[in-house]
Amino acid sequence: MDLLDNYKKAWKNQPEEASKRSTIEIYKLAHSRSASIVKWIFIIGILEFVILNTLSFFMDTDKSNEELNALGLERFIFYFSFIYYVVLAYFLILFYLNYKRISVIDNTRVLMKKILVTRKTVKRYVIFNILMTALIVIIVTITTVQNEFDIVGSENIILIVLILLVLLVLTLGIMWLFYQLLYGFLLKKLNTNYKELAKLDTNS
Amino acid sequence: MQKDLERKFLLDFEANQNIVHKICRIYTTNKDAHNDLFQEITIQVWKNYLKFRGDSKFSTWMYRVALNTAISLYRKSTRIVKTQDINTVAYKIEATQYDDTEEIQLKALYAAIHRLNDIEKALIFLYLEDKPYKEISETLGITNVNARVKMNRAKEKLKNILNP
Repeated sequence: MDLLDNYKKAWKNQPEEASKRSTIEIYKLAHSRSASIVKWIFIIGILEFVILNTLSFFMDTDKSNEELNALGLERFIFYFSFIYYVVLAYFLILFYLNYKRISVIDNTRVLMKKILVTRKTVKRYVIFNILMTALIVIIVTITTVQNEFDIVGSENIILIVLILLVLLVLTLGIMWLFYQLLYGFLLKKLNTNYKELAKLDTNS
Repeated sequence: MQKDLERKFLLDFEANQNIVHKICRIYTTNKDAHNDLFQEITIQVWKNYLKFRGDSKFSTWMYRVALNTAISLYRKSTRIVKTQDINTVAYKIEATQYDDTEEIQLKALYAAIHRLNDIEKALIFLYLEDKPYKEISETLGITNVNARVKMNRAKEKLKNILNP
């Protein structure tokens, strides 16, 4: 270690910071607003819950309810909504608890893991949402096809199903891309660092 | 009570701020980013100061909070390393105080450290600060053995950059 020893000596002899902060400056800094990644994950996570749940307000629910009733799906929608809100509450509580558990006092590895777990909760919620949406679309389509097969005719039915499928895949694709960009931007550094730190320890 | 705690924090932090400045110099390459990271570390140390119990030295505790902030919480990318920015790292170093060779060595050392990844930076920093392996492994959350393995690799990489 001869080479590094010399540099270490230079490191030790380096002068103290020239522009040291006074206690007043430190006071001001300590009371300013954090811009940490954890805060961003919390804000974006909450936004995701809010946005996914307010989307339905923009739809004409009365009209779609009528149509669902006409299809004989009201009972299914009732149970479905009930389960949906229970699961939503579960995810929200889990997200909040995970967020609260993040502590900068933990060791680096545990800290990074907790941040990634918090983000994963939201990811699972989004996947859950996508699956539920897909399920509804599929069930409504099947019921419609069964009910109106004679009226619409088989050729049109195939066309409608195809259009629905394309729309579904397109929506999911856009959502996926959005997530890749958003979290890729936010968490790339953290993911790399976590892998780097965990690399050897998984074997031991 | 709060006032006392706050006064104690301010004095503790002021006395140990050089540690934070060194971490900022390692993890950032320009003055704005340095100040930005310094601010975030100050916020985190104060936010968690209540949880600091006197069973370890304040400086030891601060190493952990400051490094964690730099590695995991700080968002700005440090990928773009401009050469003139590395030179501005030396803006704070007053050349008159010590001899030329050490100044040049220090500049080269910082420039080399900037080319390491975030984890290697932390390892090398703790090595330069003479921290024992026990403390290094506890800070990073890896086993003692792995801390040694990773440290040796980081040192090798640093040596290769310094003396290709």
